[in-house]
Amino acid sequence: MTDQKKLCAEIFRLAGRVRAEVIMESSESALTRFADNVISQNVAETSTRVSIRFTDKGRVFRTSLNQTGGAALADAVRRGLAALKLQKKEKGLLSPPAPRPVGPAAARLYAPGTASLEPSFRAEKAADLARLCRARGMKCYGTVENGASRLTVANNSGVFASHRETWALYSVTARKGEGYGWAEQYSPDASKIDYAGVNARAMEKAAASVRPVPVPPGKYTVILEPAAVGDMLLFLGYSGLGGRAWLDGRSFASGALGKRLLHPSITVTDDALAGPAAGAPFDLEGMPRKRVVLIDKGVARAVVHDRRTAAEAGVPSTGHSLPQPNSCGPMPLNLEMAPGDSSLEEMIRSTRRGILVTTFHYTNLLRPKTVEMTGMTRNGTFLVENGRVTKALRNLRFTQSVVEAFGNVEALSRERELMNGWGRMCVPAMKIRDFNFSSATGF
Amino acid sequence: MFGFCEEAMDVLSSRRADFGDIRIVRNRTQALGVRNGGTGNVDDSETLGFGVRVLLGGAWGFASSGLLTRAEVRRVSLLAVKIARASATLMERRVKLAPEPAWRDLWQTPFIKDPFTVPVEKKFRTLFEADRLMRRDRRIKSAAASMRFVREHQWHATTEGSRIEQVLLSSGADCRATAVDGAQVQERGYPCSHGGQTLAMGYELIDQLDLPGHAEKTAAEAVALLKAPDCPSGEMDLITYGNQLALQIHESVGHASELDRVLGYEESYAGSSFATTEKLGKFRYGSPIVNLVADATLPGGLATAGYDDDGVKAQRWHIVKDGILSGYMTNREFAPRIGLGRSQGSCRADGFANIPITRICNLSLMPGSAGSMDDLVRSTKRGIIMENNKSWSIDQRRLNFQFGCEIGWLVENGKVKKMVRNPTYQGITPRFWGSCDAICGPGEWRLWGVANCGKGQPGQTAMMCHASSPARFRGVKVGVKAG
Ligand SMILES: [Zn+2]
Repeated sequence: MTDQKKLCAEIFRLAGRVRAEVIMESSESALTRFADNVISQNVAETSTRVSIRFTDKGRVFRTSLNQTGGAALADAVRRGLAALKLQKKEKGLLSPPAPRPVGPAAARLYAPGTASLEPSFRAEKAADLARLCRARGMKCYGTVENGASRLTVANNSGVFASHRETWALYSVTARKGEGYGWAEQYSPDASKIDYAGVNARAMEKAAASVRPVPVPPGKYTVILEPAAVGDMLLFLGYSGLGGRAWLDGRSFASGALGKRLLHPSITVTDDALAGPAAGAPFDLEGMPRKRVVLIDKGVARAVVHDRRTAAEAGVPSTGHSLPQPNSCGPMPLNLEMAPGDSSLEEMIRSTRRGILVTTFHYTNLLRPKTVEMTGMTRNGTFLVENGRVTKALRNLRFTQSVVEAFGNVEALSRERELMNGWGRMCVPAMKIRDFNFSSATGF
Repeated sequence: MFGFCEEAMDVLSSRRADFGDIRIVRNRTQALGVRNGGTGNVDDSETLGFGVRVLLGGAWGFASSGLLTRAEVRRVSLLAVKIARASATLMERRVKLAPEPAWRDLWQTPFIKDPFTVPVEKKFRTLFEADRLMRRDRRIKSAAASMRFVREHQWHATTEGSRIEQVLLSSGADCRATAVDGAQVQERGYPCSHGGQTLAMGYELIDQLDLPGHAEKTAAEAVALLKAPDCPSGEMDLITYGNQLALQIHESVGHASELDRVLGYEESYAGSSFATTEKLGKFRYGSPIVNLVADATLPGGLATAGYDDDGVKAQRWHIVKDGILSGYMTNREFAPRIGLGRSQGSCRADGFANIPITRICNLSLMPGSAGSMDDLVRSTKRGIIMENNKSWSIDQRRLNFQFGCEIGWLVENGKVKKMVRNPTYQGITPRFWGSCDAICGPGEWRLWGVANCGKGQPGQTAMMCHASSPARFRGVKVGVKAG
C-alpha cells in the first residue's frame, strides 16, 4: 500500500493543478488447466495497471499504462496533459469527487495462504481428480486457480481508497462417453473449497447422463441449478438494473419502479459491503458503495447509480461507478438473490414432469425490454417425472424472457451458491413453470 | 529488446528445455467514444511486458510479468520452469512440437496513415459530428460513436533460434443509434455491430468509413424499426452478408475447426466440436459451392502477420473445399496429431501476459457465381435479408446456432418488399451450410473484422477477419419466438 501511495503522490505532482484520479490494479495470479486427464496449460501472471483520468475546466482525458518507472510514467502524464488541453469543453462534465467516508470491507475477503499457493498444490488437486476419473473410465477437464489483487482509487482532491482480496476457484467438467457433469466452487480462501465434493458432484452427473435421450422442444417446468439462475440474473442486472439503461428507457424497470414486475418470492439486492457477494466497498471513483435493494418481493424498487446518472435522475449516487467517463453507465456487480424455503430435492419431488438444468451455455440477449435471452443447456440435463430424475436428456436451446420466467417462479432453494465472473453473484436454485425451449440438438 | 530475450534463452537452455520462447510486447491502444454529445470514453494506453513459455520434460510452463528488467526476466523464466515441472507430474505423453525452421525477420502491417499521428481532437471532431447527426429525432435516446486503434510491437525469440520482430496495426470505428418508444427498443449501427468495422489498416479506414456521412441514415433506420412489423415466423430463404455472414462463418466454421477444441482441450469452457478428425477429407460441411479458406496473408486481415506466436510462417489453406471438411486451425503442439508435418500457423496469444493458443485465422467464404446482390434478390421468390448481428449463441459442439440481427427486409418475387424488425434465424451447422445455393461474385467480396473473439482460461481476446460475398441459404427457420 505504501508503494501505491507513493506512486499516486508522484502522479499528482506531475499533474500539477489539473484534477487527476488514479485507478491502480495489481495482481498475482496462477491457473492450472487440465483436459483429457492431464495438465494441458499451466500459467502465472504478475500484473500492474495504472489508469489516470485528468479533468480541467470541462475537459477530460484518460491515459493508462503498466510501467510505473520514472520515464514511462512521466511520458504518459505529459502525453495525457497535452491531449487534455485539446479536448472539447463539455458542460456539466464531472470532475473526480471529493472524498466521502468508505466503510471497511467485509471480513474474510483476503486469505494470506491463498495468495501464495505453489504450482505443486494445483497440480496435486488436478492429479487427485484425474486418478478418480481414470478409475471410472471418465475424462476430466477444468481449472484450479488462485490469486491476490489490490485495487486502489485515489484523486488529488483527497480520495484514497484501497482494497485487497484473494480468490480461489476449482472448476470441474467430467465426461463419460456422451455423459457430462459439471461442478464448481469459488471462495476467497482456497482452504474453504470442498475439492472432493466438487469432484463427486461432477462425476456423479457425468455418470448419470451417459445415454441422453431427446425430448421435443416446447414449454416445460424447469428446475434450474444456481449456475443457470446466475446466468439469467446476470443479464437482468446488466441490461436492466443500471441507471443508464433505466434513464434511456431501455430497461424492463424503466418507468416501472414501485410496480410488481417479478414473482413475490424474488428479492434482489446489490451489496458489496456484507453478505456472500461482498467485494470492494468503493466504486471506481472511490465513492462508498451502498447496499441497494433492487427488487423487493417482486417489486422493482431501485436501480444502481453513479454520480452522473444520479444527477440526471435527481437521486443520490449509490456508488456504482465504472471508470469515468463511460457509455454504459453504472452496473450492479455484487448481486444477491434472497433464498427461498425449498431445496433441489424438494423441487424434484414436487415435479410431475419437468427438466433439470445444470448449466446454460453461450447465453445472449435478444430483447432488452423483456430481457429475452437465448442459450443452450449443458453439462447434465435431466428429465424429471413423477418426482424423480428418470433420464438424461440431449441438450436444448431456450428462447425465454427472464422477466417472464422470474414471474413464473414456483420455488427457490434455501441453499445458495456464490459465483465470480462478471462481478460477483450469490443465487439459489429455482423452479419455474412454462419455460420455453425453442429447438433441440443431437447430443 | 532482443537483449532481454537472450536472458530468458540462457535460463531455458541451462535447464535443458525441449523448447522455450519469450515474447516481449509493447501495446499502444487508443479507444475514443462519444455518447449523446458528451465524451463516452477515452483511453490512451501503453503497456509493455513479456511472457516466457517452456516445454520441459514434455510438459508446459508459462509465466509473465509487466516489469521488464533482466532480474525479472530471470525470475519469471525460472518460475515458468517450476510450473513446467509441476505440469510434468500429470501427463500421459510428452508434448512434441511440429518442426518449424528458425526465422530471423521483421514484418509489419502495411498502412497509409499512422492513426497515432492523427490528433485526438480531430478524431473527436468526427465522432461528435456523427453523434450530433444521429440525434435529430427525439426518439433516439442514445447515440454513440467510437474509434479504436491498436499497435502491437512484438519481439519473439525461441530456443530454436528464431528472432522475429513484428509490428501489427489495426483501426476500427462505428456509430450506433438506439431508438426507444414505449416497449420498443431498436438499435442500428454503422457499418456494423460489436465495436464496428475493424481491419488491419491505418487511419485511411476511418476516412473511408465516413461516419458522419452515414449517421443520419443509421438513426433514421433505428426510428423506422420502431414501427416496422415483426419478422415473420416460418421457413424461408435467408440472404445475409457483411458482419452477420462473418459471424456465421466465425461461430459455425471458425471455432468448430480449432484443432484444440476438436481434440477436447477446451471442453471445460468453450466446448468441443462436431467436426471431429475422422471426418477430415470426407464430411460434407456444406453444399459444393461452399469454399472456406483460412489465410494469414490476407491483406487487411486482423489475423494477418508474418508469423504466428508459435513462430510459424503465415500460410493459406482450405478449411472447407467444395463443401468438404478439409483442414483445421492448428498450433505446433496438435498439428502432428492429425498427421501434419508442419503447423498451419494459427496459434496466437493475447498480449504479453497470455500463452499462445490455437486461434481462428482469417477465414473467408470464397466468392461464387451468383453475380451482384441485386441479381441474388431478383432470383429469390420469398426470403428475408438480414443485416448486422445483434445477438449470437451456439451450442458447445457448434451445431445448434441462433442469431438475431438489427434489421431485416422481406423479399417477394425478386423484389425487396418491406423492412422487418427483430429478425432471428436458427439452424444446425452442416444442414445450414448444405442449404447454401447461391454466393455472389468477387465484385461483392468484402472483409469484415471480428475484434473481440474470446477464448481460453484465463480469458484471451483475439482479432480476425472473415471476408465474404452475400449468400443465400434455402429453407431456414426464421422468426424464433419466445413462447
Ligand atoms: Zn470467437
